[in-house]
Amino acid sequence: MSRSGTYVVRRGPLAEQLAYRLRIVSVFARTEFKLKYAGSALGYLWSLAKPSLYFAILWIVFGHLFRTNVPHFPVYLVVGVVLYTFLADAVSLTLPSIVVRGAVLRRIAFPSLTIPLATTASTALTFLLNCIAAGIFIGASGIAPRGSWLMLVPLFVEFYVFVLGISLIFSSLYVRFRDAGQVWEVLSTVILYTSGIMYPLRILPDWAQKVVALSPLVQVVQDARAHILGGDPRAASYTAIAEPHVFPILIAFAALGLGLMLHRHESPRFPEIA
Amino acid sequence: MDEPALELTGVSKSFLVPHARRSRLKEYFAHPLDSRGHDRNDALRDISLTVPRGEFLSVIGRNGSGKSTLLKVMAGIYRPDAGTVRVNGVLSPFIELGVGFNMELSARDNIQINGTLVGLTRREIADRLDEILEFAELERFVDQHLKNFSSGMLLRLGYAIAVQVPFDTLLVDEVLSVGDVDFQEKCFATFEQMRAAGKTIVFVSHGLDAVRSFSDRVILVEQGVLTATGPPDEIIDLYLAHVQTRESAEPAVYEGRASL
Repeated sequence: MSRSGTYVVRRGPLAEQLAYRLRIVSVFARTEFKLKYAGSALGYLWSLAKPSLYFAILWIVFGHLFRTNVPHFPVYLVVGVVLYTFLADAVSLTLPSIVVRGAVLRRIAFPSLTIPLATTASTALTFLLNCIAAGIFIGASGIAPRGSWLMLVPLFVEFYVFVLGISLIFSSLYVRFRDAGQVWEVLSTVILYTSGIMYPLRILPDWAQKVVALSPLVQVVQDARAHILGGDPRAASYTAIAEPHVFPILIAFAALGLGLMLHRHESPRFPEIA
Repeated sequence: MDEPALELTGVSKSFLVPHARRSRLKEYFAHPLDSRGHDRNDALRDISLTVPRGEFLSVIGRNGSGKSTLLKVMAGIYRPDAGTVRVNGVLSPFIELGVGFNMELSARDNIQINGTLVGLTRREIADRLDEILEFAELERFVDQHLKNFSSGMLLRLGYAIAVQVPFDTLLVDEVLSVGDVDFQEKCFATFEQMRAAGKTIVFVSHGLDAVRSFSDRVILVEQGVLTATGPPDEIIDLYLAHVQTRESAEPAVYEGRASL
């Protein structure tokens, strides 16, 4: 399938093309957000209920049954759960998104990159709402907001880059290989249990700590905890990752690069096989 | 200034027949070099065609002859395997009626989505909303979910959006198939208007009467090959003659598929 014909059409100026793509992302994201909560009485509260339930179970099991010795464990846990939920939800929702919109791709020619962008954007919106809820919870548990919380902004940008990259990889592969859905199901569980979401990384063997510290999720979760709990000297000792951040940040951007490449490579055939 | 609206040079397009497509990694690992069982459907073979500005061109042919694929290649939906498609001006596609709408959303939301995809801004959509609904005769149903719409209603909605785009060239696939007589009359009226406005139209239809009365030129597509081009009466007669001889001679269902 290396041979390929060409389609020549005069495009508008770059700014116009960009505006066109942004309009598509925005209309897709808005309708997706609307559809997600259409017909359900509690609407957005469901998006809050899921991580809350996660949190409650992990709190009972690891905070009480195993008695994890972590100061401010509820805050520690809520940060991990909210960030992990964003990754897991974004990838699970984006994974089938191109196949779901296959019918539209067969009817109108438009840039298919807008589809995963819109789905991750609407998940990011849910994530931000969850962050507000988590912020209220953290405040209520006696941690006062501080200047270092502003450091969360670049951290979340890095995290979105990573989430988008992984989402693009899986959504592009899923069109041709439906196995990608099964792979992500397993992988998301592995990630949950290896990323120090509900236990401190220091209980892992040294070599394992070094390996998981490469993960952008682990780095973002640990750094977010450090920024939020930074004022507490007991908490500061375990939260921040000692390694240089170059590697996880590089991996986050590499994931995005790979995702964009895969999408570019696969997208010409999306209308035929999605 | 005399650039044609559309120019196709040596365009070919083939598909792998779906049931033979590998969709699991395991199948690749199990038989990585085995290419047997891959049927190829040559939907378009070496098509060259120039559509001058302002022409009303009709495409006729049997089911599965490649008409719709031709339209999708013109629209930029399918990338051709070989050859070049050159488009001058803005295209508005009306392809696969009803497909692509989100049935769980209202007509209003779907107009928003489709309008955006074909290039309109939010403002332009808002300005055209009433006109679209009026043309589609769906004013009363604007906030109803499309799952409650009939196929005729979906057709009217899709066509109403397509003709509201400020286009130079309109690609129309089977607009007359499920609409009632009133809507057909309306479509014919828009054809006249578009022709008067100097728009280019590529029209795919089995409605030979409409093809006869509107077309400047007709092309006949058989098994992915452009077999005849000419004035409407001549090409339609040729097509009817082909259909009759074919029907008495052999079943043509599996034609056009070649094994690799």
